[in-house]
Amino acid sequence: MYYPFQTQITPLTNVRRERVLPIPGEVLVRVGQRVEPMQVVAHTHLPGDFRILPVARLLDIPASQVKKCMIVKLGDEVHQGQVVAKRGRLSSHTVKSPIDGVITSSGAGRILIETEPTLFELSAYIPGTVSEVVDNYGLAIETTGAVIQGVWGAGGENLGVLKCLVEGPDKPLRADTIDPSCHGAILVGGLGLDTTMLERAQELQVRGIVTGALPSELISQVLQLPFPVVVTEGIGTVPMSTPIFRLLTTNDGREASISGVFQPRWPIVRPEVIIPLPAETLSPDRTQPDAPLMVGTRVRVVRAPYMGAVGTIVALPTYARSIDTGARVRGAEVDVGQKTPIFVPLANLEVLR
Amino acid sequence: MMKEQQIGSILLADCGTVMTKAVLLDQVRGQYRFIAQGEAPTTAEHPWYDVTVGIHHAAEEISAITGHQFFDGGGNLISPELSGQQGVGAFAATVSASPPLQVVLGGLVPDLSIASAQRAAAGTYSLVKAIITAESRGIRRDEEHVRTIRDAAPDALCIAGGIDGGAATPVLELVESATLACALMDQEVRPYLLYAGNARLRKRVVRIVQGRAELRIADNVRPTCTQENLAHAQAELDTLYLGKMGQLPGIETLSGWSSVSLTPTARAFGRLVEYLWHLGDPSKGLLGVDVGAANTAVAAAFDGHLFLTVHSRLGVAFGGQQLLQKRGAETITRWLPQPMSDDQARGLLINREIHPASISQVQRELSLEQAVAREAIRTALKVAHPGWSAGSAQPYPHLLPLCDTILVSGGVLAHAPRPGQIALTVLDALQPIGVTTLVLDKHRLAPLLGSAAAIKPLAVVEALDSGGLVNLATVVTPVEGHAHCGDTILKVRVTYEDGSALSVEVHYGDLEVLPLLPGQQAVLELRPLRHFDVGLGGPGKGGQRRVGGGLVGLIIDARGRPLRLDRNPDKRQVQMQKWLWDVGG
Repeated sequence: MYYPFQTQITPLTNVRRERVLPIPGEVLVRVGQRVEPMQVVAHTHLPGDFRILPVARLLDIPASQVKKCMIVKLGDEVHQGQVVAKRGRLSSHTVKSPIDGVITSSGAGRILIETEPTLFELSAYIPGTVSEVVDNYGLAIETTGAVIQGVWGAGGENLGVLKCLVEGPDKPLRADTIDPSCHGAILVGGLGLDTTMLERAQELQVRGIVTGALPSELISQVLQLPFPVVVTEGIGTVPMSTPIFRLLTTNDGREASISGVFQPRWPIVRPEVIIPLPAETLSPDRTQPDAPLMVGTRVRVVRAPYMGAVGTIVALPTYARSIDTGARVRGAEVDVGQKTPIFVPLANLEVLR
Repeated sequence: MMKEQQIGSILLADCGTVMTKAVLLDQVRGQYRFIAQGEAPTTAEHPWYDVTVGIHHAAEEISAITGHQFFDGGGNLISPELSGQQGVGAFAATVSASPPLQVVLGGLVPDLSIASAQRAAAGTYSLVKAIITAESRGIRRDEEHVRTIRDAAPDALCIAGGIDGGAATPVLELVESATLACALMDQEVRPYLLYAGNARLRKRVVRIVQGRAELRIADNVRPTCTQENLAHAQAELDTLYLGKMGQLPGIETLSGWSSVSLTPTARAFGRLVEYLWHLGDPSKGLLGVDVGAANTAVAAAFDGHLFLTVHSRLGVAFGGQQLLQKRGAETITRWLPQPMSDDQARGLLINREIHPASISQVQRELSLEQAVAREAIRTALKVAHPGWSAGSAQPYPHLLPLCDTILVSGGVLAHAPRPGQIALTVLDALQPIGVTTLVLDKHRLAPLLGSAAAIKPLAVVEALDSGGLVNLATVVTPVEGHAHCGDTILKVRVTYEDGSALSVEVHYGDLEVLPLLPGQQAVLELRPLRHFDVGLGGPGKGGQRRVGGGLVGLIIDARGRPLRLDRNPDKRQVQMQKWLWDVGG
């Protein structure tokens, strides 16, 4: 039996997202409270800037003499340009603070000046209800809606209205289709992007882009964009999978949360689009996370030559078969809508759930 | 060690970054043998968040083959073994699935204390995020050091520097900067501070740190200018890594199943390499390379001493893209037998990272993967080699030492479609000299047997004797002579067991493969010309050796050392393709 990785492409499910502060701080909401995506739900203070002033070296004195030369003391607030140490009463040999801050430490002929900590605010990201709070660390928010997981992404989190600008999953996003009505939208494309299109999107301040594939020569440009980009299939020129395209276009015009945050491991963080939807009663998710591949499972192929193809397993041969590289591997026969099923190594299949 | 005589079957598991392997050893007619193997994706992350689930999945494959059941209805390991092939006598696991230790190093001189500290860190799964050095000058040096440490947010700071009784002030300044950085960081994210410098300064270091960081002290990694002593610092860093490993979800359950302490995979691999050295020619070394999805380990044994290096930045699935960005695409694409643009290579490497458990289904992607494997081994070797004390096994300092055997492990190599591809990848990456046997760990047993040694050494010995490892090739590499391409540099005569013989003249630049099947033995007679050295006593010295066959056969690698690739991309691709054909790849 083979237990594949999974990608969530779900039209309606329970969605739970944890919001965690980078260092302990304060959670501002309580369990049961309703929150909106842009609402600040927790905050903390990140360490500010600092300067280490080598007073002994600057005044050309032994470290043991520094205390005598200090004009300010530990805990004092200082301003940029303020004299903090002076050698001799009549001497113009002084040390000035380079920043506004507080003297927090001294020793070995040096003093440490720290600025005010900077406020870090954590937003809810999705609309929903707070289901769990861990004091000082973070919280979990739950809602119902559609979830589309990508495989690669760039940029942070954002909120916008889905706007599909292509007629099919194999059509690229083009600059001439982006007009002022795209301002504040999350654009949905199919096959790929180009430089001109990205520049136009940036001009019109879109809130994000979802595309099937990304040409590798655009990676550097995409990493600099001020909005998130979610890629659903991979790097190259591959159409968006039909189920994903259908799910996005069905929700055209709805508000969605988009995250381009991508981390391949430790932990795995996948880019995604979440479309909040009402659900009076939601039937339980029938897919088991630990389900092995079986005949009838809906799968997507993740490597060439069939990368992006979606189909259904029609057979799981017992014995290994040869593939183009000459390797003999265990695989599955997958019906992707061609005349005959294709043979795909098990390791190159993932379940869409 | 538990009572050995009570142990029957042994289940071994390795939780890698991407794949989890399980292997069953059992007694057949009174002798331990490798029985079956299973493999499944590692389940440390969503949706499982429990590494033991992956072990269940991998063990299921063994159950399907053998009928042996390992777990009860509640998912618990059955041990000791019951009748009717239920349970196992013992279980052991190796782990490399956890994130590496993030380290910032500090030292005085790049070629001395810093290089030694790097080698100490490389003895375990670690990532060096930054290096601070006392060499930098300037009023704001302390501030730069503190900022570097704070931005790196490491798990540990390792400060080395100063021979014992040597430099004091610059070392103590580094310690002060490190301590200040720790004090500026939140208690929850504050790193450990490991001091491994001038031993005479230890008391002053303790006074400086004064509880502002959790301090550990190790022997000076560089007690004199010419002496390196890494063992204690490596052990301390290894302990810190084990602490991080302890955070893997499901690790407590795994630990509860295990008959012995969980072992980092590379350490178990090194243990086996060390054991294998004792079986071979003591005048030479024994080298092992394990190219994983995320890490590459190089274990070398000389004179009974083990030198272990783990490169956590580069494996076959992860790190290729960063390598490409740092050193340029040609670093990788130069090994390809077909053209590939930089952008194409980058895109394929990112896709590989996105799906690390997947396998190449088309030739160009497989070629790229094997090219990354070459660079992963070369990069790890570059860190490892300067730290080896190979003694008389190192006749040429700029080349690899003489190695009796090279053990080759890791998925990309074990699962390569053709043995010739494996051999060429290893020859290109390591560039061995003299006469060497390449041994393939086809079933990924090496680290598992290394961990089994702690339970039942006899099981390891017998599993190896029964063919746990497979001979890939015997390689003869003449070096350091003077010849032009096409000159005859070596005369080879192979006399087979049936009395037949094969005589070949080898030309400089050639890669020859002579038939010698697995299980076959032959007498190899070598007569080097033009002052070439084949490792039989010096330049020009020939002789006879009894050699064994392998999946590829007997390889004569006369391409020269160091290996030179054609600068012209088109000609280089032709060159790489020819070499592949020559080895049957």
